[in-house]
Formats: sequence, structure tokens, C-alpha cells
Amino acid sequence: MNEIDDDNPYGYAPAIWRLFRGAPNAGVFADGTAGVISAEAGTPAARSVLRLALRIDGDRVAEGRFQAYGCPTTIAVGAWIAGWCAGRTIDELRRLKAADLREALEIPEDRAHCALLGEDALKALLTRFQEQRA
Amino acid sequence: MIYLDYAATTPLDAAVFEAMLPYLAPGGLHGNPASTHGPGFKARAAVERARQQVAALIGAEPGEIIWTSGATESNNLAIKGTLEFRGFPKNGKPVHIVTSKTEHKCVLDTCRHLETLGARVSYLKPDGQGRVTPEAVLAAITPDTALVSLMWVNNEIGAVNDIERLAPSLRERGVMLHVDAAQAAGKLAIDLQAVPVDLLSLSAHKLYGPKGVGALYVRRRPRARLAPQMHGGGHEQGMRSGTLSTHQVVGMGAACQRAAERLDADAAHCSGLRDALWARLRGIPGVLRNGPTGDSAGGERAAPHLLNLSFPGVEGEALRAALPGLAVSSGSACSSATAEPSYVLRALGRDDETANASLRFSFGRPTTMTEIGQAAATVIAQVAWLRALSPLPGSR
Repeated sequence: MNEIDDDNPYGYAPAIWRLFRGAPNAGVFADGTAGVISAEAGTPAARSVLRLALRIDGDRVAEGRFQAYGCPTTIAVGAWIAGWCAGRTIDELRRLKAADLREALEIPEDRAHCALLGEDALKALLTRFQEQRA
Repeated sequence: MIYLDYAATTPLDAAVFEAMLPYLAPGGLHGNPASTHGPGFKARAAVERARQQVAALIGAEPGEIIWTSGATESNNLAIKGTLEFRGFPKNGKPVHIVTSKTEHKCVLDTCRHLETLGARVSYLKPDGQGRVTPEAVLAAITPDTALVSLMWVNNEIGAVNDIERLAPSLRERGVMLHVDAAQAAGKLAIDLQAVPVDLLSLSAHKLYGPKGVGALYVRRRPRARLAPQMHGGGHEQGMRSGTLSTHQVVGMGAACQRAAERLDADAAHCSGLRDALWARLRGIPGVLRNGPTGDSAGGERAAPHLLNLSFPGVEGEALRAALPGLAVSSGSACSSATAEPSYVLRALGRDDETANASLRFSFGRPTTMTEIGQAAATVIAQVAWLRALSPLPGSR
């Protein structure tokens, strides 16, 4: 690395850095908000936890929120999924895979587990959605 | 950018820079200090003046100072050279070294290398303050112990080992003592006329001198004997061959002279900054201070220039990344070459996660109270932000 960016001296990919620093969609829905489903996933080895919460209206996500304990990439994955989900159908959510997250956020190979964590959290949430619908 | 990493390295002091220039500038005094002509004699005189300046900082004789490339080389020369002079490993006799788990990597790796050649090494665990007591060292001594190697000040947590009390006890038992003083010189008063250390390592760039130069103190009375590790023209009394880097050596001399003149003022300045930062940050819920909590005046001795804190409930890499405007040393595994959390903090009993979420703040002459206030505000805000982001119970 020849040029060191004072704002991003550790050289995270621009999308990861922007989402980590801004953490859009961070937080939880107020207690009692209708249609909220949440679930979390964790990676014991890397000691990270990602919790997603989606407010679902019919077959579509109205709004997303996330909480994360983990590295900047984990936080960025949470922020990205929470934002991406808004306005999408449950079927579209089912099609989101770790590879898509890696591509969208330029997640390097050594951080592939952060993308898998995102996929796992979303999968857990959809399972819960299915259970509630059943 | 707020620089609070003076234990990693310091900027060159302006007066040191000025002192070096005549030996570095084109058309300057370029002679080889080993040459026997006018330019060589001038360089030699500058080298010897610098030797006096380094010696004066630690209460040594100029002839007891051997120039090296830095503390890593000094530590290698001291430890390997001592054993080799005693015939290790060729004579096949058992040999034992006592050191601690919290030494700098260059001491630990040197010891591990010697273990592969057959030496036995005891790595002592520090107490809860990060110190290795003289009693613990003496209890580890065996008839085969050739050398004790112990740092004066720990580079991560500022723990101060009681070298003043340890050294006479080892002298009585006829065991050589090597001290890595890279973090102690210029921070604590060192008087080797009063403290019978045999070998002591120094680094210039930790005290506002240039990088790439250091020294090893080798006691003359009684004579500490070393086998050279760098062979060549017999420079430095045969202990370290190689043409001396006159400008670096002059810089180290000037830096040591300035450190001696400013010892009390620097210590007061740094400990004031350390205490001010701790006073601000101790309000963060759950924050842990690693290492001693006192000062150099007595009690739990602490180096004046270091403050090491852990922030449970935040993830180490995220903590580091959340402070891009703060140049501090991180305990985060991802910031180290080995991808392991700090072995020093783990030796103190911190778990991996807490060790990861640790920051070492270190202070220097240029540090201002305004910078301390800004740094404190940033750390408080970012720790709170990361905890608010966390789904783990008890993070907030």
C-alpha cells in the first residue's frame, strides 16, 4: 500500500468503511412495533454476533434494523442487509447468499466468515418468519 | 491525527537532528571512524563524544558502551553472546536462562532459539501488576543458571521491575544480569554505578533519537564477557564489528544527553498526561487498567509514559477502526503480525477477548493536555457507540 488514507488508514474496502462508520439502520424497533421478526447468528471462533430485525408488511419488508458485535466487516454486513431488505419480498430475501454480500461489499477471502454470518442471520430470520406464518 | 504511540517510537528531537546533520549532509564530515587520518579522527571524536553522552545517561563508563543497530540487536548480542562465551552449545554443559513471559519478542525469540540448541529457559509469569519480583527470579535460579534477562520497564503496560533490588542479589550468587532498558532509559533514573547490572540494552528511537541505532552496556568491573555475534574488523572492542554509522551514533548521543537533562521534566510531563487521561477514561463503565496503577515515586511503580486499558464489551478490531484519528497501539490480534492477542495481557490473566479490546496510550514531549482531552472524548464516544451497536447483553 503506497497511499494511506488518513480517514481509513486500515484500508477497508470503501463500502465496508462507509457502512461501518455510518452504521445506517443500526438499532432495534420500539417495543410493540407490529410485524417485527428478529433473529441472530454468531460465529464462536471469531466471537461475532449479528442480529437482524425486519418489520414485515404482508409479503414485503417495510424496514430493517441490525445490531452487531464484531469487526467492521461484520458491522457493515449488518448495515447493508438491513438497508437492502427494505422494500423487498420474502422470496428476494431467500435468494441473498454470502457470495452476493462479498461482491457487494468487496469482502476479502479472509473475511468470508463475515458474509456467511450475514447469510446465517437472514436464514434464521426467514425460518422464524416461516414458523410464525405456519 | 493525535499521536499517542511514543512507546513505539518518538520523533527526532530538533536538537538531535541538528547534531546529526554535519555527519550526514553532502560535503559533511563523512570520514570512517576507524580510519587513521584527519576525516577519520574527526568522525572518531564524534563517536567517542556520543559514547560519553550515552554512558552519562545510565551512570556508566564510556568504554562500557558498545554501539549496535538497536535494542533487538543489543538483546541478541547480550543473551547469545553470554552463552556462547561460556562455551554453549559446543561444550555440551547444561545451561539455564531465567527470563519472563512478558519480555519483548526479541528476548523471547532469542531464548526460544537457544532452547532449540539445548539451553533450558524459565519463563516467569508476572504478578497481577505485570512485575516479576526479585524473589520470583531468585527462586528460579539453579546451579546451571548462566543469565537472567529481565526488562526494566514493560513496553506494553509500563510495569517497572525492581532491578535495583534484584541486581545485588544476583551479583552475590554470581549470576549475570541482562536488562532490556529500551523503555526505561530517559524515563526512569538509571545509575549503573549503584546498580550492578552486567548488560543493558538501549535504543535511540525510543528517546527522540534516530531509528537504526542502539547500544549495549557491557560492564567492565567485573568484566562481563561476550562472544561477538557480528564478525568482521574487530570494531567495538571485538564485540560488534561493522563500520559505525557516525550520524546515527551522534544522534543517539545527543538524544541521551537531552534525555538526561530533561529526565525529571519529561517524567513529570508524561505522568501528568497519563493521569489526566486515566481520570477521564476511568469513567467508562467496565474499563480495566492493565498493569501498575501507581507512579515512579513509590508503591506500585509505573513508567510515566504508558497507560494500557481494556474495554470489555467492544470488539478489538472495531475499536481500533473506530479511532482512525488516534495513533495508539492496539491489543487487537488483527493489528499484530502474528494474529494473536497480546501475550503480555494474556500473561496478566486477561482473556483473549479482553486482551483484543485493549489500547496502549503512550505519551511524549510533544503531547499536549488538549490532545489528551480530544483523545479521551473520542474514546469515550466510540466505546459508547460500539456498545450501543452490540446485541450482547450487558454491553450498554
